[in-house]
Amino acid sequence: MGLLQGASELFPVSSLGHAVLVPSLLRWSFKQSDPSFVPFLVLLHLGTATALLILFRDQWVSIIRGFFTAAFAGQMKTEPERLAMLLLTGTIPAAILGVLLESRIKSLFASPYEAAGFLIVNGLLMLGFEVLRRRAERSAGVESSSDSEREAHFASADRISFRAAAIVGACQALAFLPGISRSGVTIGGGLLAGLRHQEAARFSFLLATPTIFGAGIVEVPQLFSKDIPLGEYAVSAVLAGIAAYASARFLLRYFRSGRLDPYGWYCIAAGLVSLALLHFAI
Amino acid sequence: MKSNALAVVLGILGVIFIICAVLYAIGGILPTFTSSGVAGPHYKHAILLAVLAVASFVAANFARPRVV
Repeated sequence: MGLLQGASELFPVSSLGHAVLVPSLLRWSFKQSDPSFVPFLVLLHLGTATALLILFRDQWVSIIRGFFTAAFAGQMKTEPERLAMLLLTGTIPAAILGVLLESRIKSLFASPYEAAGFLIVNGLLMLGFEVLRRRAERSAGVESSSDSEREAHFASADRISFRAAAIVGACQALAFLPGISRSGVTIGGGLLAGLRHQEAARFSFLLATPTIFGAGIVEVPQLFSKDIPLGEYAVSAVLAGIAAYASARFLLRYFRSGRLDPYGWYCIAAGLVSLALLHFAI
Repeated sequence: MKSNALAVVLGILGVIFIICAVLYAIGGILPTFTSSGVAGPHYKHAILLAVLAVASFVAANFARPRVV
């Protein structure tokens, strides 16, 4: 479960959707209503966020430094300063929507059928993002260029507008629906805002770090309740962190020239197969 | 957009957010403003309001006209 969560959290395929579907399809004795489920999920999220912090440690040092210098100076002069303010702008709508809506939405759509349905919707979204991106490439006249030339035409993460950062951040709330991927919608949002694929992925991972950490840290007190097998859960968290680290490295390399289409098709296929398996109780 | 009035409004907003964050952290004072309606500390709300307070102060500093 730790490996599954760590890997699927960053791939644009919905970790929550897989966390609902896989145990149900494999008939794992894993009840989400169990009181120990939330602490388990908290540790997995903290493992994933720690992996992202380690992967982007140099960038986070300059972003945090940039945040303080820009906040006290009241102006942005360098790229890390601008990126720090963009991440703050993107995190606020996600935090507001998370506190107000998360538990209500998750309790409304917790069944495997809905997760499978939303996984198909997620796949269609990924394909839709790429259709719009190809349209932008055609209008820029770079559709027949090489991958690197085509990507070079688009912007880096710190050039995104503040309005776009807020919208991309708010899109993270869609991931409360099991089956809709947080990284998928934020990478897609970054593409629509004119970022290169790799930069959209980097912005998505940087934006995810405070959100995942914040969501995990507020639930930390639940780890200290009785009957929690903390050692076992900690091993899962480490596995989630390792999977997340490897996934992030793979995706940053993949998105140098790759697109969201394969993940879109995977989500549609996985959703349809899951629906069939659930319907026929195979 | 630089304006002294905007900077003051954002600063006041920041102070209001801090007061609300403290009230939610203490608990038992604003129970009706949560989905559960339960009295007691609400750390999620408190952290969110603290983040909003920081963002308001940062925005106020950005909105303040620079003296050259």
